[in-house]
Amino acid sequence: MGPAERLLLRQGLKYALILRLIVSGVASLVSLVLEPGPVWWRTAAVVLGLNAWQLWFARERLRTCTEDGGTSRRWLVPLDVAVICAICLSQTWTTVLPHTSEDGALLNWVQVAAEIAVVAYPWVTGPLGLALLTAAVTAAYIAGQTMAQPELFLGGAALHLWLIVEAALSWGIYRLVRGRARTADEQVAREERLRTRTALANARRVDENEYLATLHDTASATLLMVGAGVVAGRQEWLAEQAARDLEAIRGPAAVPGSEVDLVPMLREVVRQSPLRVRWHGVESLRVPALDAVMLCHGTREALTNVLRHAGTDEATTTVAVEGGDVVIEVTDHGRGFDPASISGHHHGVTRSLVARMARIGGNATVTSKPGVGTTVRMTWPLSHGTHGQSSHSSGPIRLTDPIDTEIIAANYGKGLRWSVVGMSAIILLLLDVPKLLANLDAYDSVVAQVVALAGFLGITVVAGISTQRDRPLGGWRWPLLALALGLSVLATQAVSAEHRLGVAHWAEGDAAWWVALLLLDSPVAVFVSAVVAQYVLTYADSLIFGHAAVTVAGTVNAVLLVLSFQFAVGMIAAVLRSIAAPAARAAREAEQLRTAEAVERALHEDRKERWAALADTTVPLLDGLASGRLDPADDAVRRACAVEATRMRRLFVEAAGEADPLLHELRACIELAERNGVSVSFAEYGNRPKVPIQARRMLTEPAVAVLATARGKVRLTMVGTVGTDGGDGTDGAQESVTVSVVAARTPYAVPAPDRDGVRTAVVEEGDRLWIQTTWRGGT
Amino acid sequence: MISVVVVDDHSVVIAGIRAWCALADPPIKVVDAGPSVAVAWLDPGGSADVVVFDMQLDRTGPAYADLKRLVDAGRQVVVYSGRTDRETMLTCMDIGAFTYLTKAEGEEHLVAAIQAAATHGTYTPPMLSGAFGTDDRPNRPTLAPREKEVLLEWFHCESKEMVAKRLGITASRVNHCLERVRLKYAKVGREAPTKAALVARLIQDGHVDVDEL
Repeated sequence: MGPAERLLLRQGLKYALILRLIVSGVASLVSLVLEPGPVWWRTAAVVLGLNAWQLWFARERLRTCTEDGGTSRRWLVPLDVAVICAICLSQTWTTVLPHTSEDGALLNWVQVAAEIAVVAYPWVTGPLGLALLTAAVTAAYIAGQTMAQPELFLGGAALHLWLIVEAALSWGIYRLVRGRARTADEQVAREERLRTRTALANARRVDENEYLATLHDTASATLLMVGAGVVAGRQEWLAEQAARDLEAIRGPAAVPGSEVDLVPMLREVVRQSPLRVRWHGVESLRVPALDAVMLCHGTREALTNVLRHAGTDEATTTVAVEGGDVVIEVTDHGRGFDPASISGHHHGVTRSLVARMARIGGNATVTSKPGVGTTVRMTWPLSHGTHGQSSHSSGPIRLTDPIDTEIIAANYGKGLRWSVVGMSAIILLLLDVPKLLANLDAYDSVVAQVVALAGFLGITVVAGISTQRDRPLGGWRWPLLALALGLSVLATQAVSAEHRLGVAHWAEGDAAWWVALLLLDSPVAVFVSAVVAQYVLTYADSLIFGHAAVTVAGTVNAVLLVLSFQFAVGMIAAVLRSIAAPAARAAREAEQLRTAEAVERALHEDRKERWAALADTTVPLLDGLASGRLDPADDAVRRACAVEATRMRRLFVEAAGEADPLLHELRACIELAERNGVSVSFAEYGNRPKVPIQARRMLTEPAVAVLATARGKVRLTMVGTVGTDGGDGTDGAQESVTVSVVAARTPYAVPAPDRDGVRTAVVEEGDRLWIQTTWRGGT
Repeated sequence: MISVVVVDDHSVVIAGIRAWCALADPPIKVVDAGPSVAVAWLDPGGSADVVVFDMQLDRTGPAYADLKRLVDAGRQVVVYSGRTDRETMLTCMDIGAFTYLTKAEGEEHLVAAIQAAATHGTYTPPMLSGAFGTDDRPNRPTLAPREKEVLLEWFHCESKEMVAKRLGITASRVNHCLERVRLKYAKVGREAPTKAALVARLIQDGHVDVDEL
């Protein structure tokens, strides 16, 4: 379960339990005061007992959910169901009994307690618990009512049916919002994977470069020296150097956390920029890999902006540590701009850079003046970095990623909007339309009722389309809100006075659903005021003139139930908005931990592999030189060292990522040979296909060995063929690359690879040796 | 005695060619040399058996037009150039040059190429061989797999003995293949007076049947 979903479930449970406590508490206490039932003290005992139980239940349930996800104390929920059932069964002693079938449809406090339990239950327990509660409570309520008044058996059937619809609606909201939370988690995770991959690739590349630089300065230099015959015999200093080299290329046993040196990464970014960039900065700065990637992206972005907008090809990059913050500044003296004239939304720098820096807990500022230039300043608190991976648990809280927060908030919001759209449609079509049709004679104007109904339906459709298209209603919500309130007044006024607030008055509390629907994104205060305004408009008339079909307690119960449901929706909206940021933060912390682990694992594997690659060749040589077993003056040793140094040279070229690595590798070897006084004539023809790296190494292997040790003249040639071109059928050929080297014959064995699709042919003629390696594609 | 005129703007190159020609057996006479193609038209260069011609006389690009005029006048032209790109080499051969030598190949191959040109034989030095062997232009002649093989191996090792050893054939078979390739290129190239002489010579030597033409 992702952080957005987890947090939603916890908050949802909390609010559902609190809502239930308040609603059933207020309803039961108001009834206790106004309509205490046949025996006052009995009602009081039951009401107080119920409230005490619910308070305790809420506390326990929340506690177990926080502690172990609600797996312990499984008996809490069945017991709660039993308590509600007992309340329903005992209603004959605790409520004022309705006198007619018509009155039976009105609410008493027992019913409110039952209904609010059903509304809250999706968040409290699973679908099974909800089904159990709904079935048990319905049965118990009917039984309780029948016991109280056998002649009214199934008199309130419509209301019992409504209880089931309510359970379904509440379950629907729960599923929708939870589904969207899961979607948000998935989206955030997708983004995370992308970032992790980048961070990982970067960390690996940086580590590889670091390793190659080490190799270059240590083992390669030593072997080159020995190969060139600089060392006349066994020397103390050479042995020590070889031992140090071995230590250096073995690398640190453990990867130093997930940290990387930011400075070389930044320099690489600067180097890649087509701008002339002056560099001022510290020598080295270790920060977590993920943050390093972000800082590099930020710097690249800033340089790109100089290139695009500043009208200059010069910039200065400064990297410094100021009071515990890493400060990176990119300054240009280009044309600049007036920050006031460009809205944040439209300017690339402010939008992506500021967001990126906020994501890693830093910030970015852009200062610019027309004609003077622009400075982008990124600061990032170093204290995070020194905590390394531990910052996820104890370090200072980072600013949350605004993008993740947006994703989560948008998903929560959409889920809730859909559920309210669905709910208002269901209420309108399944509850209000039947009420209207069943009471056609209770209205002054049926046409007005139909118009109101159609109007509400229209608002639902508009809201639905807006949700579907992800286009907020924006300013349109206010005329729509006015329309909803107008329709509510119309529907109320068109009910004949004596039926007001009765069953026939379908718009009574339900009209507030459309107010809720339109104001779901608004601040809580606006939402509550508008909903209350709707109720005032509806009830003002009855309060002033006393037209009503129900008692005060009945009204309070009815209003309370519907209103609480509506407030609950508004509250959920607010809660969802507020938990989006913590959910994003939780996601980010988990990501940092996972990235750090992945980097550590990958680097460890890489290092093991590199060590293995050197184990058969370089390591024994250095080992021999370090222990004095090998004599650097010995011809065979010198030759082996020269070959090894050349091979490493090839490795450096490989890592440089040239567009034509084969050619560059050969050139690197030629350069070394020429330094040794060998005259190399090199020629290459044909179009070369891309050769897999392993085959590439095999292809150049004999050339490397020959060039490292040759004297005199060497002819090095290469021919490539790309695929067959058929047609004439006579000279069509598969793709291949041939590397050929002709040199004076040597007394040493030259490698003749026959693997990875590469074959070697050796021809000796007189004092000349000709070695030819050919790679054929598809072999 | 074979007479040669050298068109090259580099005095060191001219000096080198003079030295190689003097050492040749039998010696070759360099009748004139100069930086302008005019030395090949005016006597004594105008009647020399072979023209050694540097393609890159100025910086405006290869002097294809000059080469074409010389070829059309029936001259045997050995192009001797610093350019090693396949396009230039193949273009010169299409125009009708006798052969194409890169500057790096001079010491080993120039004298032999001049001698072959004087007797209307063929001469395919290794670099040209590499250019032929990797020719992928649509109008290229059709080569047999063995011919292509010989071309490329000759390019790689510069030794016909080694090529013969590598491919398990005789050295004369290697030469035979190279001559056939040269003929095929002559057939797809421009019509030029030198071509008739080349074909006549190849038939005479028995490398080509009259039926094949």
